[in-house]
Amino acid sequence: MSCRCQSTGGDKNVFLPMDAEVLEARKMTETETHFSLKLKNGKAFDFQPGQIVEAGVFGYGEIPLGLSSSPTQTDCFELVVRKVGKVSSALVGLKKGDTMTIRGPLGNGFPVKEFNGHDVLIVAGGIGLCPTRSMIRYILAKRSDFKKFTLFFGTKTPKDLLFKDDLAVWRGSCDVSYLETVDRADETWKGNVGVITTLFPKAKDVNKDTRVIICGPPIMYKFVIMELKKIGIPMNNVFVDLERRMKCGIGKCGHCQINDKYVCLDGPVFRFSDIEKLEEAI
Amino acid sequence: MKSYFIEEGQLRGFVEGLMGRFPVIAPVAKKSRFVFAELESAEDLRLDYDTTILPPKKVFFPPKQLLVTYDGKQSKSCISPREQILFGVHPHDIRAIAMSDKFYRDNYEDRNYQANREATIIIGSSVQKHYKHAFFGSINNDMPVTGHDVFLTKISGGYVAEVLTLKGESLAAADKFNAATDAQTKLAADVNKAANENCPEKLNSSTDKIKEKVRGAFKSDIWEKLSEDCFSCGSCNTVCPTCYCFDVQDEWGLDGVSAVRHRTWDGCLTCEFSEVSVQGGCENFREERSERFRHRFMRKIAYLNKQLGGPACVGCGRCAGACTADIANPVTVINKIMEQNT
Repeated sequence: MSCRCQSTGGDKNVFLPMDAEVLEARKMTETETHFSLKLKNGKAFDFQPGQIVEAGVFGYGEIPLGLSSSPTQTDCFELVVRKVGKVSSALVGLKKGDTMTIRGPLGNGFPVKEFNGHDVLIVAGGIGLCPTRSMIRYILAKRSDFKKFTLFFGTKTPKDLLFKDDLAVWRGSCDVSYLETVDRADETWKGNVGVITTLFPKAKDVNKDTRVIICGPPIMYKFVIMELKKIGIPMNNVFVDLERRMKCGIGKCGHCQINDKYVCLDGPVFRFSDIEKLEEAI
Repeated sequence: MKSYFIEEGQLRGFVEGLMGRFPVIAPVAKKSRFVFAELESAEDLRLDYDTTILPPKKVFFPPKQLLVTYDGKQSKSCISPREQILFGVHPHDIRAIAMSDKFYRDNYEDRNYQANREATIIIGSSVQKHYKHAFFGSINNDMPVTGHDVFLTKISGGYVAEVLTLKGESLAAADKFNAATDAQTKLAADVNKAANENCPEKLNSSTDKIKEKVRGAFKSDIWEKLSEDCFSCGSCNTVCPTCYCFDVQDEWGLDGVSAVRHRTWDGCLTCEFSEVSVQGGCENFREERSERFRHRFMRKIAYLNKQLGGPACVGCGRCAGACTADIANPVTVINKIMEQNT
């Protein structure tokens, strides 16, 4: 196709993506593929845990994805794509050496400083582990900046468990108190069975001074919040990571708007007390 | 800045002079209605238009705009503004343009819009005939009309041309018009005041009261009643001068390698606007049409106030005329909400 475009001079186009090389594409489950990427311009990709990118393939489009790696890891950055639609199907088709386009980092990320020096609880349901993994790995990389670290991970079945190499490390680690559960077990599963809130009684010392991150399917938030309120954790110390349709990622296209907030600009991480009474948020 | 008086008989020459320098986009007749289109002849100009089918936003934010192209190896930006004149914009539509300027400039500046905007000189014009649904006289009246370069007000015998910028001055000064007299300037102010006062439709409450009460009516069952007949067609979005939402789509080239990425107007009334793909189907954050209908009104009257300085509605009335089910008229909806006891 001939290009009808002219030189843009000093006009920086916010829609012009960067090229990233796929260093590795690992299929994690039937639907999830885990990518390691490196910018082709040679620059390190600098971001905050919890930030998002618009990842794309020309001819198909772009989708918003949370970064899955910690910014402390500088040789590559990681994303997980769940194959559900046209663009995600094109993305999971990418192999080592292929190009994925990236715009970002976008959004706010987790307020890391507020977590420094405190106990941390992360509650991740299903692919909610993908964006929170950026914070999990950040905490593990800077472990002395945080006090007690507890991680809950719940999936529908054992087949849906993600990042199995990480899980193996976390299960045996003294740096994180890791608890996991599945809604429905199979014959291989020896661990907890039940929804994610069944892990609360099993966790030691989740106290009211804990800083909390929740990310998972919409239904999960309500029940987890109920448990946190029982413990007495103030809602301004609870952070949720929301998902919405996004086309631009820069607060223009309108798709992710909730009331006067844009998930792409004001989020995807929200202080729960800021959105608790916000209609349509969860 | 100066004000000139352009006699009735001088207008054509003035427009032809402009056309000699830049493409001029202005209201012209299209069957029984009007549209903003590039003038082919100064004779086609219709400053006596009531409203246009689409608002002038299309000049900076086209219904389909190329953003990026990809040749199979590299992607390339497509910002390529054209110097042009947008002629004959009504004051309330100028207000809407000022809002979208702010919207596209704030946070991440969108040069795909801004470059088009900066390359465009805007010549406004007074409302000579009211559109049957116009209510601009009763909303956002404390918000100044800004961002244009020249403003023409029709008075007896010609037009008072108020020059607001140096760009505007360079256009108006070229024709050596007489300076407008104080009497003519006063007459022009009266004409514009009367245009506001004579709108066929009217909100019964002040903008401040509306902002508060509409937001407070979020949980009211009125939205369900009002949206019962909604077809979710998005016509109200399409014709709205302050609807800026868009979709981004890719298209393959015939070679199977190259591609283009463009944006197209999108509307929050359509069903799929807030849908996300999830495993085994989709999740829609505004599944009910009443939720989408409410979202649009909230976005117009409440959500963007902080960013835009007031409600994102200028009272043009286009949505009322475009709505297939005849339910979108903001005057009807807002007046009804204001009458409710909450």
